[in-house]
Amino acid sequence: MMKQFFDDMTAKMEAGLLEKNTARQKFNLEVTRLGQRLYSGNQRLALCGVCAPFDLLNAMGINSCFVEFWGGVLATAGIANEFMEEAEHVGFQAESCGWHRAVLGAAIKGMMPTPDIMIATSSPCTGGVAAVENLAQKFGCPLFVLTIPPDDSERSVRYLADQFRSMVDFITTHTGETLDGGKLKDAMNKTNQAREIALEVYSLAQSIPSPVKGRDLVSVGLTMPLFLGTETAIEIAQAYKNEFTARIERGISGVPGERLRLIWLQEAILFKNPLIKMLEKDYQATVVVEELNDIYWEPIDPGDPFMGLARRTIAFPFNGAVERRIKHIKKLVQAYRIDGAINPCHWGCRQGTGSRGLIAEALKDLNIPVINLEVDCADSRNFAEGQLRTRLEAFMEVLGSISSERPVEIGGQACTI
Amino acid sequence: MVSDKVSYIGFTCSYTPLALIEAAGYTPYRILPVGDSPDQAGQILHDNLCPHVKRVLDRALSNDLPELDGVVLLNSCDAMRRLADAWKKARPADRIILIGLPMTTDDSAVAYFERELSRLVDTLGQWSGRAVSIETVRASIKKYNQLAVLFESVRNRFVGRGIIGGAVRLQGLYNMAVTRPFSEAYQTIKGFIDDLNSPIAEDTGIPIFLFGNVLPDPEAFGLFESCGVRIVDEDLCTGSRSFAQIEMDGERKIFSQLARGLLRRPRCARTLIPMTPGAIAGEVLSRATACRARGVIACTAKFCDPYIARIPGVREALRKAGLPMLHIEGDCTMRSFGQHRTRIEAFTEMLRR
Repeated sequence: MMKQFFDDMTAKMEAGLLEKNTARQKFNLEVTRLGQRLYSGNQRLALCGVCAPFDLLNAMGINSCFVEFWGGVLATAGIANEFMEEAEHVGFQAESCGWHRAVLGAAIKGMMPTPDIMIATSSPCTGGVAAVENLAQKFGCPLFVLTIPPDDSERSVRYLADQFRSMVDFITTHTGETLDGGKLKDAMNKTNQAREIALEVYSLAQSIPSPVKGRDLVSVGLTMPLFLGTETAIEIAQAYKNEFTARIERGISGVPGERLRLIWLQEAILFKNPLIKMLEKDYQATVVVEELNDIYWEPIDPGDPFMGLARRTIAFPFNGAVERRIKHIKKLVQAYRIDGAINPCHWGCRQGTGSRGLIAEALKDLNIPVINLEVDCADSRNFAEGQLRTRLEAFMEVLGSISSERPVEIGGQACTI
Repeated sequence: MVSDKVSYIGFTCSYTPLALIEAAGYTPYRILPVGDSPDQAGQILHDNLCPHVKRVLDRALSNDLPELDGVVLLNSCDAMRRLADAWKKARPADRIILIGLPMTTDDSAVAYFERELSRLVDTLGQWSGRAVSIETVRASIKKYNQLAVLFESVRNRFVGRGIIGGAVRLQGLYNMAVTRPFSEAYQTIKGFIDDLNSPIAEDTGIPIFLFGNVLPDPEAFGLFESCGVRIVDEDLCTGSRSFAQIEMDGERKIFSQLARGLLRRPRCARTLIPMTPGAIAGEVLSRATACRARGVIACTAKFCDPYIARIPGVREALRKAGLPMLHIEGDCTMRSFGQHRTRIEAFTEMLRR
């Protein structure tokens, strides 16, 4: 069923791309193509934690994704709820993360492809480790666990780099796939190329008004690592760069009459919901950046890739103490000249939502109001649309009163709206 | 002049190397989620976070703690990491260190943890103003090994024939030993062992194996007993996982041995054995069978991902073995725990038939 789903989606998107060639469609198409590969049954497959080094896996010819990716795919397709119910039926509590419940339910129902290996990552969350362990048990496949240290001291970086080396041995042992030095170098070069272009994309997104609209960049920063080390990541980044450049050159704002610029913290709500459209249409408010839509890591040295990959992994904003995350959010708030922050407070997320009070407090220092919602970004069953609308409307009014007069830039020239 | 003042270092996780804290001249003080501190943690942490961590933070916010010279936290799970963040906010003047804790117990994990323990000792030395020697560390590990041996002896008696005061008394001893100076703890346990041969009344309760994470309140064990339960063994982080012997070999590096010993003691669900995914289910079954329990009670703090994600697997393994399991969740207060009385009684009644 899922293979058919991805085959149909891919065919539909390939046809659609001929008519309307947008960066988002290109991104969506590559996601469904990845889904096809994961279900192909004739390619090596690894299910992982969020912080696995996917470019390294790509260099070894291993198709891979993080398990939450499935939760995202199922939620986007509007079919996550039945899988979450299945997981709850066998005892996985509704208080746990919706992404994990969805993927566990899908596995129980036999809707997941059987992986060759599984790789858990201690960051960003212990819930994710538990989900990966449960899936490894369910599929009876070999499990490797990466401990991501919370700090970036040299010894911590070295420890993680050594784990990556052990992981390569583990993959070879269980799949027969080896790591070719030339392929690894090539993958790192591609990762760096994608990184450079993505930096430009995010820089363009910072323009005032921003060329970003609606769902352009939803979950892109979270999902792009799956394509790193390949041409696909470069192509996706280039498509966004071209599109945003063209919009800016033509003076096209992502949201016409942009009045308010928002940052969306943590992850997006992926099931169908009217909130973003409401913000854009009723308040000319645009989510110009998601928290993970950023390049927070230095280029990887192709001559010493394991250390570079380790540094990048540790630098993940959700890793370690909350200071790292707050520093990153503050950087984005200033770079994008943000008026307000929306924190969905994904129910069941201890690591992310757990620190919401500290984040709100930190943003107060920058006079940035934060609205904390209470949603499960994967689970539409408890989505209180009316209540959320009302709260967001009130929030928009507050923001509107704060930033009624502010300088803006169009095409790099400052003016006032 | 020698001061009688006890200098405490707060800690919250059973992986904490108590011997290192003691070697640095401090008394380890486990900040147990007990007491009547008002709920204030929600101002900093989200409602869906582990109540163990929030109760600990409540105590910190209410100053319901002895004077602490510092706090040692371990990066054991999301909630503990958030506690470290919140603590800095709640008590910015406190000295605090977050120690990395690997998810696995393999040799590279041991080597990493060894370096983290070394960093801890350096930090404790800075806090106390005097360097901690290897000899002192070695001596301190030996002392805590002695305490572990005593507890092992009490536990063996507890599992085999029972002890005066039962599980309530045993939990009281654990709580005392993680909050009082070593010498006091040692003498108290030793004195208790000397009385172990006193005759005790036969307990007709249903033998139950108890496992989970945080259950420090002796009153909770009293509740079990009043429901007709006889706890014949337990695996809790506030119970038997608090103390375990560290294998010492004079030839090898002391921090390496300590790291290995801490990581490979009976584990919290957050620590994995990658070769055997879901191994915790087999471990619970094995322990329950060994103590001849007729049922198992899983007792977990609400929102604890490491445990709640493993409960379905444990339940399934026990079901296949014909061992019924009751899962109780709480918020580390007797108020919430007491609400489970009817369920515990029904569970016991079912096992009696």
